[in-house]
Amino acid sequence: MTGDKIDISVTVNGRRYRRAVEPRRLLADFLRYDLRLTGTHVGCAHGVCGACTVSIDGRTARSCLTFAVQVDGAELETVEGLAPDAELSAIQAAFHRNHALQCGFCTPGFLMAARQLLAETLTPTEEEVRTALSGNLCRCTGYVNIVRAVMSAAEDLRANREASHV
Amino acid sequence: MSDPRPVFRHIGRPVPRQEDDRLLRGYGAYVDDLPEPPGTLYLGCVRSPVAHARILSIDLAEALQMPGVVAGYTAADLTPSIRTMEPDRPKPGYKATFRDVMPTDRVRYVGDTVAVLLAEDPYLLEDALETVFVDYEALPVVVSIEDAIAEGAAAVHDDIEGNIPFAGEYKTEGFDAVFASAHLVVKDTFRSARMAGVSLEPRGVMASYDKGKGALTLWSSTQIPHLLQASLGELLDMAESRIRVVAPDVGGGFGIKAHVYPEEVIAAALARRHGGTVKWIGDRQDDFVTSTHARDYRYDVEMALAQDGTILAVRNRLHVNIGAYACFPFGSSAEAGGGAIYLPGAYKFAHYAYATHSVFTNTAPVGVYRGVAAPIAHFAQEGLIDRAAAALGIDKLEMRRKNLVQPEDLPFTNAAGITSDTQSHAACLEQALAAIDYDGFRRDHPRGEIRDGKRYGIGIACITEHTGQGASRYRTRGLHRVPGFEGATVRMTADGRLVAAVSQSTQGQGHLTVFAQIIAEHLGIDPSAISVEEGDTATTPFGSGTFASRAAVVAGGAVFRASEALAAKLKRIAGHHLEVAPEDVELVDGEARVAGSDMTMSFRELAAIAHSLEARPLPDGEEYGLESRAFYDPPNVSIANAVHAAVVSVDVGTGRVAVERYAVAHDCGRMINPMLVAGQVHGGVAQGIGEALMEAVVYDEDGQLLTTQLLDYLLPSTCDIPDITMAHIESETDATLGGFKGAGEGGVIGAVPAVAGAVNDALGETGAFVNQLPLRPETILALLRPVAD
Ligand code: FES
Ligand code: FES
Repeated sequence: MTGDKIDISVTVNGRRYRRAVEPRRLLADFLRYDLRLTGTHVGCAHGVCGACTVSIDGRTARSCLTFAVQVDGAELETVEGLAPDAELSAIQAAFHRNHALQCGFCTPGFLMAARQLLAETLTPTEEEVRTALSGNLCRCTGYVNIVRAVMSAAEDLRANREASHV
Repeated sequence: MSDPRPVFRHIGRPVPRQEDDRLLRGYGAYVDDLPEPPGTLYLGCVRSPVAHARILSIDLAEALQMPGVVAGYTAADLTPSIRTMEPDRPKPGYKATFRDVMPTDRVRYVGDTVAVLLAEDPYLLEDALETVFVDYEALPVVVSIEDAIAEGAAAVHDDIEGNIPFAGEYKTEGFDAVFASAHLVVKDTFRSARMAGVSLEPRGVMASYDKGKGALTLWSSTQIPHLLQASLGELLDMAESRIRVVAPDVGGGFGIKAHVYPEEVIAAALARRHGGTVKWIGDRQDDFVTSTHARDYRYDVEMALAQDGTILAVRNRLHVNIGAYACFPFGSSAEAGGGAIYLPGAYKFAHYAYATHSVFTNTAPVGVYRGVAAPIAHFAQEGLIDRAAAALGIDKLEMRRKNLVQPEDLPFTNAAGITSDTQSHAACLEQALAAIDYDGFRRDHPRGEIRDGKRYGIGIACITEHTGQGASRYRTRGLHRVPGFEGATVRMTADGRLVAAVSQSTQGQGHLTVFAQIIAEHLGIDPSAISVEEGDTATTPFGSGTFASRAAVVAGGAVFRASEALAAKLKRIAGHHLEVAPEDVELVDGEARVAGSDMTMSFRELAAIAHSLEARPLPDGEEYGLESRAFYDPPNVSIANAVHAAVVSVDVGTGRVAVERYAVAHDCGRMINPMLVAGQVHGGVAQGIGEALMEAVVYDEDGQLLTTQLLDYLLPSTCDIPDITMAHIESETDATLGGFKGAGEGGVIGAVPAVAGAVNDALGETGAFVNQLPLRPETILALLRPVAD
């Protein structure tokens, strides 16, 4: 049933929002309908497909299993925040080059999950990439090019890091 | 027929997609992402919780009192104002079929819609839906093919006796004599699971009615905007000119979204009634319960052979469980008709007989899904070849080599009467064997060996894919609601830029990029500078839509033809002003150039002339504007082919099958974009691995659906699909414009028999053969048990 609304304040992609939300409002709905950040998708609402993956205080989370009131005071990042400038991020660019997206519905979730992995290591094995992405479902690509894209993004990021060290 | 164009600059290149940038930034606009106009009402459907029952009463009183609820309607309120869908008209073999978008008298499956609510907010809508009370009187339920065709079975539709709305038969002349005189007959019953397509985006629709104009705009996650527009006109008794259907970004379809659904019609009807916007977004459970299911076949197949392994004749008795209703537009026969003719596939036996049947049951309607009946047709055929090879003591590869259609047989008309001018089975076979290192596998894995608790097997499947079917094919198949042709408009705007509008809609295949490549080829401009539009009936020419591997062939042909005509006009205008013959003009790098000289005119100049925006006139007799529209209806059907090779491990302790390595040699004629072809194959293979090993929709004997979430219906994840090695062969065909064949379905068609064959191979000397999908651990353990005991 409906409940009284609760005020929350949250930072999403660097911008601060204050809103009043019902306690039962899902974070996914809050992002999509209240903030109109519709890049975060809902494929199952049961925590299985990963399409709704966002980053909350630096850790990936399922926005379909999180209530908006739970992120009061948190820093969030969604797919819309990955490429603030004109240039695509290294992971996005690798997805483009490697044809790692078809319908694109799962893509925001994969990008967020891949970013978390590459924040932890820039030298993942193919096995590690597969494990890290095993909580995200894609029905179009067969994952082949997604795995290749993440491997290739890791390589680019390594090369960048080395370049910036010289 | 246009000249073959021997040198290609844009066709054939792995051009990265122009679709990607906005999708990667999260700026895609799927139907649930579109901004809702103020006052939008949310539609909720009350679904039948029982499989077969009379509706006694529906009580909306409490729901109508709930906060936020604006209106509620029962079937009795709405159905009289909406025409009945009629997917099939009667003709020999086909009975007329009907479906009301909301049944008034009785429900026929768990998921039939009996009432709807409109509310101001989706959360409040959910609350209200829980308060609706419906009283049912249970009727006898039929769930399986066997239930439904048994003597005295309850009728799902009173006017369809025996629950069979479609039956077809065929036999080559002399079949019986050849079959009777064969040295060996192998046979088995092959069953697929019932499946769900599971596009990651569930279905959804938003309908807006403009009272002033009396016009409806409907955004739907659909593969068939033009056919949906036509059906809405028919069902709601509105002029098509008052209806605009838009397919925005669509998050996967795979055939499931190539049907007209009740929610689309109801949303449109209620938008009109309320004079505003009505929105329905399915969740995953809705999707499992009400989106069309797939497969659910029983194939009883017999193969007759000579002693040397030559296949002489095949008999195929096929039943398809099509659920409670025939789907629109494909009708009751799409699966049963397809499964009958797909079977001869890559093999050249001369005699074939089939008897095929569609069967109504009290389950969700079954519609087309990537590959249609072909994966299981090939599963049966390759499975029988494995059995025959074992019985005759002939090597499995040898059996296949002996029976494949060979280059010298072309053009070839197979035993089901399907003709094709090009096929490359033998070449694909050798490439696939090399890619998977077949000999190496045989060396490393002696027959019967168990290594680390696992058996290993290798499977080979030689398959064909029926692509790009034209109007004549759909007419022969009795699918009178499917047009078969496609259209395209290619236009140069007054500033000299190129835009195109195509009758297709895309669900991620990369149409915009490949059509831009075709246009680029003719107009001599980079594909990235061409913007292509699809999916909007207001701006694109009429066509059939995206299904059955048709976009590249059929719409590609229309784009090809329209581009050719526009290029010719540009050359005529340039030739006139440069004072040379049009044949001496070439279009390169965004300008018209006289071959072998430095005389040029830019597209901007030519566009200005054609739009009367400068002093120079058009040549006499030339029309203003630079717009070319073409329709293309290809010949009957284009047969693509492939050989798939899979290596699997079978854990003898747990029964778990894992696909270890995978290779495909694929031939879809001239490729427009090999990177996208590979993407199509990868995705299809993953769906085929899911079909072979894990996916199953399950009903209990009362017709209750047990698999309603992704926790119950298992999809392959990153850990289930290995890397895939691809080899491409491009057989030259001039049967289609551009020499293109389709590539959307071969992946799944090949993966099912290849994985099943690999499991047969792993079971090796146990003598067991698989005949039922999916190959879950319990099935495998049951097959291994006799060996263990
Ligand atoms: S929508 Fe959240 S995991 Fe599927
Ligand atoms: S690209 Fe369509 S679900 Fe992944």
